[in-house]
Amino acid sequence: MDSLSISDLTIRYGNFTAVKDVNLEVPAGEITALVGPSGCGKSTFLASLNRLTDLTPGCIAEGKIVLGESGCILGPNVNILKLRRRVGMVFQKPNPFPQSIRRNFEIPLREHGIPKREIADRTESALKDVGLWDEVSNRLDQSALQLSGGQQQRLCIARALALDPQVILFDEPCSALDPLASAVVEDHIAALRGRVTVIIVTHNLAQARRISDSTAIFWIRDGAGTIVEHGPAKTLFTSASDPDAVYYLSGERG
Amino acid sequence: MRSGKISDILLGALCSIAALTGIGALIWIVTDLIQLGLPHLSPGFFTEEVTESGRGGGIGPILASTALILLSCLTLAVPIGVGSALWFAEMITEKSRTGKLLTASIDLLASVPSIVFGLFGMVFFCQVLGLGFSILAGGLTLACMVLPIVIRTTISAMRAIPQDLRPAAAALGLSRTTTLGKILLPRALPGILVGVTISVARALSETAALIFTSGYATRWPGSLNDSGRAVSVHIYDLAMNIPNGAGRASASALVLLTLILIINLTASFLSDRWFARQSATHPAING
Repeated sequence: MDSLSISDLTIRYGNFTAVKDVNLEVPAGEITALVGPSGCGKSTFLASLNRLTDLTPGCIAEGKIVLGESGCILGPNVNILKLRRRVGMVFQKPNPFPQSIRRNFEIPLREHGIPKREIADRTESALKDVGLWDEVSNRLDQSALQLSGGQQQRLCIARALALDPQVILFDEPCSALDPLASAVVEDHIAALRGRVTVIIVTHNLAQARRISDSTAIFWIRDGAGTIVEHGPAKTLFTSASDPDAVYYLSGERG
Repeated sequence: MRSGKISDILLGALCSIAALTGIGALIWIVTDLIQLGLPHLSPGFFTEEVTESGRGGGIGPILASTALILLSCLTLAVPIGVGSALWFAEMITEKSRTGKLLTASIDLLASVPSIVFGLFGMVFFCQVLGLGFSILAGGLTLACMVLPIVIRTTISAMRAIPQDLRPAAAALGLSRTTTLGKILLPRALPGILVGVTISVARALSETAALIFTSGYATRWPGSLNDSGRAVSVHIYDLAMNIPNGAGRASASALVLLTLILIINLTASFLSDRWFARQSATHPAING
């Protein structure tokens, strides 16, 4: 588990500033939820934490993101492939590779030099971690796309877990799922507490309240997204001071 | 019953006539070929040598030459075509200046008449590179001709890949090579196969590009440096230059048509199976 320390982070797409002056401490092993209305930079911020923003041409992140003991992850000398192994990500829409369930684990594990004999064990234990092993153990060679949406999302979480990451970023992992599947996925995310550092973007305030240790509220200030309120989930929902945040949390705005 | 609005009925009738005309033309050609050609077909026709300039014997050496021309064409066109398409699809954005220029060049290359490729092949491969009238020169000329087909179909196969696979791969720390080789390419393979099939059909039916490059020789080819006559050139020669050649021209055309049909069916069977294996029955998210 590693902590993340973000200071003065600004992210631009060309002339457009998506995120401005964000400061956030993410303690190791805790679950931090990011909430706020659409289009206020939460997902962009999240993607910058494992440099997935590099995939967007013209996207520049300035400031500091310090991962554990290993220093700032921004800058040209960082090994991005190794960084992404340490900081995994799960997306809004489940995105298993259109291949067998087994191959979904084999490809990333081989890529990161895990010996062949360990792959089966790692696959099994990662699938057990998300409660999927009993459902799929007898059809590992079937296409991952045959699984239901909720199962696919748990497969994606397991696929990220198999690489032993320090941090996992979740970008609205439940919003494409039905309520029952969503509850199952949420339980498995909550179970990661103490094992990996979790940062989760969600539009579901109740969910943020249920599973997070601390919550940060994003809002637009001067045309760019930033954090307007941040604190322990237990107290933040009742004692927020920023007027926008208070409205948002009370369900009257956002 | 459908409501009888005059314009609807008229439109339906016109479309039906158009469709029937197209199908009718095909049926006419095939019937004609069968009537004229079938009496000349026998097992020996596929293996025997050409005698009396095609009035007698079979088309054995011609089928062999055609296969070799096709082989040398694909050996060059598929790796170069797929390679450049991957580079184009992965490294260049479609709307950039380079992208527009490249798209325009590919379109231009695709619309060059085949006789021009023939002349180019004759000058460049036969004379400048000193290959002479040879199967290799013919194959290389055809490769230039089908290259835009391979490139275009591969590009569209790559662009049709679901957009969320790339970030999924990137977020797992996969290198570009792994992403391309193990995730994107397997997904695009059926589409690439379609492009190769169209190329094969196009190459098999080509005459003008081959007359000046692989030549007319009807003997059994001994190597890629020999001149060899392709089936389509044989059909052209029998039909145009040999009195009473129409029957055997039709027989050869029937063979060519069947060959293309078999190749098309095999390719679509393979790509269907590939898709079935990749995405199972219901690729949609269902809860």
